[in-house]
Amino acid sequence: MRTVLILLAAAALAAAQPAYKQLQFPKLGAVKIPEIETFTLPNGMKVYLLENHNLPLINGIALVRTGTLLEPAEKTGVHVIAAGTMRTGGTKAKTGDQLDEQLEAMAAGVESSIDETLASVSFNCLKENTDAVLGVFYDVLTAPEFRQEKIDLLKMQYRSAIARRYDDAGQVNNAEFSDTVYGKDTPFGRSIEYETLDRIQRADLVAFHQRYYFPKNVRLAIQGDFDKAAMRARLEQIFANWTVEQAPVPEFPKVTHAAKPGIYVGDKKDVNQTSFSIGHLGGLLSDKDYPALEVLSDILGGSFDSRLFRKVRTEMGLAYSVGAGWGAGYLNPGLFRISGSTKAESTVLTFETIQREVNRIRTELVTDQELNDAKEKVVNSFVFNFDRPAKTLSRLFRYEYYGYPKDFLFTYQKALAAVTKQDVLRVAKQYIQPEKFVYVAITNTDQLKTPLTDLKLPVTQLELKVKEPKRAAAAADAASLARGKALLARMQQAMGGAEKLAAIRDIVMTNKAELGPMKVNQKVQWLMPDKVRQEQELPFGKVIAAFDGKSGFLVAPGAPGPQPMPAPVLKQVSDELFAMLVTLVQSDRMAGRTVNGVGENRVEISDGNGKAARLEMDPATGLPAKLIVEAMGPQGKIDVERQFSDWREVGGVKFAHKTVILQGGKPAGTTLSETIQANTGVTLEEIMKK
Amino acid sequence: MNSMSLRKVSGLILLAPLWVCAQSLADFEKRVTEFTLKNGMHFLVMERHESPTVAFHAHVNAGAANDPANASSTAHMFEHMIGKGTASLGSKNFVLEQKALAAVEAAYDRLEEERRKERRADQAQIERLEAALKKAIAEADQYVEQNAFTREIEKNGGVGFNASTGLDTTNYFYSLPSNRTELWFALQSEWFRQPVFREFYKERDVVREERRMRVESSAQGRLLEALLTTAFTAHPYRNFIGWASDIENLRAKGAAEFHKTYYVPANVTISIVGDVSPAQIKLWAEKYFGPIPAGPLPPRLNTIEPAQNGEKRVMVETEAQPFLAIAYHRPEGTHPDDPAIAVLDGILSGGRTGKLNRELVEEKKLALGADTGATFPSGKYPHLFIAFMVPNAGKTVEDLEKAWDELIERMKKEPVDEAAVKRVKTKLRAGFIAGLDSNSGLAQQMAEAHVALGSWKKVFTELEELEKVTAADVKRVLNQYLTKKNRTVAYSVQVKREGK
Repeated sequence: MRTVLILLAAAALAAAQPAYKQLQFPKLGAVKIPEIETFTLPNGMKVYLLENHNLPLINGIALVRTGTLLEPAEKTGVHVIAAGTMRTGGTKAKTGDQLDEQLEAMAAGVESSIDETLASVSFNCLKENTDAVLGVFYDVLTAPEFRQEKIDLLKMQYRSAIARRYDDAGQVNNAEFSDTVYGKDTPFGRSIEYETLDRIQRADLVAFHQRYYFPKNVRLAIQGDFDKAAMRARLEQIFANWTVEQAPVPEFPKVTHAAKPGIYVGDKKDVNQTSFSIGHLGGLLSDKDYPALEVLSDILGGSFDSRLFRKVRTEMGLAYSVGAGWGAGYLNPGLFRISGSTKAESTVLTFETIQREVNRIRTELVTDQELNDAKEKVVNSFVFNFDRPAKTLSRLFRYEYYGYPKDFLFTYQKALAAVTKQDVLRVAKQYIQPEKFVYVAITNTDQLKTPLTDLKLPVTQLELKVKEPKRAAAAADAASLARGKALLARMQQAMGGAEKLAAIRDIVMTNKAELGPMKVNQKVQWLMPDKVRQEQELPFGKVIAAFDGKSGFLVAPGAPGPQPMPAPVLKQVSDELFAMLVTLVQSDRMAGRTVNGVGENRVEISDGNGKAARLEMDPATGLPAKLIVEAMGPQGKIDVERQFSDWREVGGVKFAHKTVILQGGKPAGTTLSETIQANTGVTLEEIMKK
Repeated sequence: MNSMSLRKVSGLILLAPLWVCAQSLADFEKRVTEFTLKNGMHFLVMERHESPTVAFHAHVNAGAANDPANASSTAHMFEHMIGKGTASLGSKNFVLEQKALAAVEAAYDRLEEERRKERRADQAQIERLEAALKKAIAEADQYVEQNAFTREIEKNGGVGFNASTGLDTTNYFYSLPSNRTELWFALQSEWFRQPVFREFYKERDVVREERRMRVESSAQGRLLEALLTTAFTAHPYRNFIGWASDIENLRAKGAAEFHKTYYVPANVTISIVGDVSPAQIKLWAEKYFGPIPAGPLPPRLNTIEPAQNGEKRVMVETEAQPFLAIAYHRPEGTHPDDPAIAVLDGILSGGRTGKLNRELVEEKKLALGADTGATFPSGKYPHLFIAFMVPNAGKTVEDLEKAWDELIERMKKEPVDEAAVKRVKTKLRAGFIAGLDSNSGLAQQMAEAHVALGSWKKVFTELEELEKVTAADVKRVLNQYLTKKNRTVAYSVQVKREGK
């Protein structure tokens, strides 16, 4: 009776055994590993060929050892602009637009690109067009022309992209996390800015190409519907004349930055969700613990069934996306990163949940089932590494470029199969370091239910504001410089002539100025070229500012005596001196200054040190009508415009006795000069008298 | 749901010239087996033995356009429920779980019943019922074996597991090592027959988060939603991703109703591409999917968008830099003008030689980027031809709209460039060939063509239609559809919002 019951129970269990568990799978069919032919051309370029006759297509890629990590900091973006314009700027024979027409008529493509540690030029085409497309590919790779108009276009497009940098919360989260962990002042974390773009010239791009694009620094892989022997012969012929040599390319820089742990918050008022990243530096693919770390990060956050996915999405419904990855790079550490998004109000709850899961995986062994699932996944899906022949080629190609062994994938798979629960716990403790975590949260802080300070970690505000564009200096050429010189000469003439202007040693003036609601009496003494004393009677007392060309002092009511000029005031005085009309119109005689004609009646004057002013001539009189400079306002940079009128002669030179000041296009004040005297004999002692 | 780019790709693949399709169709016909089960479920099987892998694509002929009133995002919930599993996979004790899930629905019914009293509802009673519902959900949750369904697929080497919901269709797909083909039959058939709506109310929160991410926290998402709701007055293509308040009130029993109506076998097409034997596939299909009872085909959508009587405009405020979208009503994908519209799309925005790139991006330097899409948001019913433009820093949406209008009006008068028409056709041919490389891509194409066009062969034969398109046809559709009266202009305006 008892036996019968047991048997019945067993039968019931067997019946209850679901269909999917009873399945017996046959042995998997053999994986075909394609044969790749490799050889080196006489010029030193390595070539990899793979025949694949499935479709009538051919594609190829040349890897060039360089990258954005090798850019000079002050010209960040130069390699990106260079790689982009290598293609769009055309070749000696054809403009970029002509290449577009030619290639697209054949439904073919030739492209050039770059990332941190490699650059590439690639092509794809229908088999019937191989010769023509290889020709274009060769020209783009070896002899790009970098036409100026395409450089200007791409730089302008990057300026637009910079303006949009902080618009998308997800993108901001990615960029801020990466830049913060790698260090914003390092080659890994720098951003392209208006200033760095402005410094990039065609000559830099030509130099980039010369330095890095030479045969011994290039590897070429081609796969598709061709005959290997014929392709080899064809390449030998095409590349026969490309024999330039260069010194070996320098090593890429190493990651050295140690990010300050804590929370970094970027505030966006037009979102209702927090886009977040949590983590620190990852490691290298060649680390012996890499397979164990992959198992670890897969269990923590790598799949639709990871712990984080289960807890944060499935169980708590807090996020649409959440996941984690151990970032391993070929040459430099990647990023270990837990990321996702959740409604702003559940930010702290989500972070705490993640912290608990991180803590758990660092203190408890993972389960047998978790370990087995993670391993089986890799073992069973291994065949997808070979489902297309091209995958084998591109893998081998990258391993060789980065100096990894050919059989790296197989070694990895073997090592992964040997990972134990103890290994996972050991690497979790050793490599995942919560005390070093950087938390980036891009969110609407008005909607946070619990303040981020509850997490008891230092909080740093991220400023999600584009560095205001510096006005792009107008391009100067011989003709515009000549026009600038002529315009300036006409203004000098109208003001009394270059000789008279040069003869001025000092100027003393008394002004009545209206600055908004305030009426101010001013006395200004000025000793050529860069010494000045200004006394102002303000409603609350007298203020004196004096400057001897290097340093200065301030006397203000309530202060115990003369105070040294602080840096911002020194900068302001130096800007004011640059904008003094009498000296500015003599800029053609000053070393280092550029006078560029940028309009019919307009010159742009710059001192090569960051100071610039635009001066506009009244075409009727030849006198200066307007002077525009950039100044720092409370909301960033604004234009300050001075409009000159009431010209009267003093000692043979015409001075404007009325100046109207506009800031950002709005009236800001008026200065009326009651007296102006020139060459009074004022001395340095008088100017600097305390 | 953001199907613009996807649609565009699939649109392109329908367009390669004759010689390829003749050659390929003959070759492909030899390798394709097609059969329909007694219950109406249709199978397409294509043999490809290059590698021991196989791609599966299950295509349901229903999507967000079929969402019931008051319950937008119902179709979309299914995309999320596939991961929740079945009776045999995902439960610790299905008998008890089923009871607990029924109790959840009963508790929810009682709560709704009280809420329906509106002003006369008893607030204290509502709170008690809410607590009871919460408790019933917790009770049901204890039987859940979380993510067991996806885990089973992944550990068997499944890759690319995902699902997608469009306006017209819902798709479920992944690939397996080919020796595990039967696993797909076992898992997918059980789910189609009887999906279990476990953890439905948590997944509803996840979908709510998805809306926050794709629409509410995205300047582009908000703009496209405004565009669709403005362009479509009546037709359900106005449903972008579902409304927040609808999502927050979705019910599992509503989903079950939807399943009963739309997931009938005759409304499902399966395509399988890879290292398989068609005879074996047929046996498994009958064994696993055969027992699913047949059902009537779901009702057709009756609503037709009324003709538009004048230009519509809509503006969205955002902190982000501005965008501009201009969309014109156009007929359904099976309309004879479809190939000419596809070529027009290629002439405007295909590659670097596209008119938009040449004129707006490179020459006038107004746009950072500019693209068009011939099929937005989906193609079964009359839909939109859309242009999406991103102004450069310092340029405005007005600048771009003006430049777009100038370009379109000029193109309407001048003859369409024959070379451009030829170039577009050639490019589509190459794109078509390249698309044949992937098992999963082909599986999707074949299922879509079977449902949308009536036969998988149309993937190839539709190309003949394209080959017939002339420059004059392009000019005609340009003049016919791209008119101001027929369009909606949506743009965003940058507004700085301050915190409280």
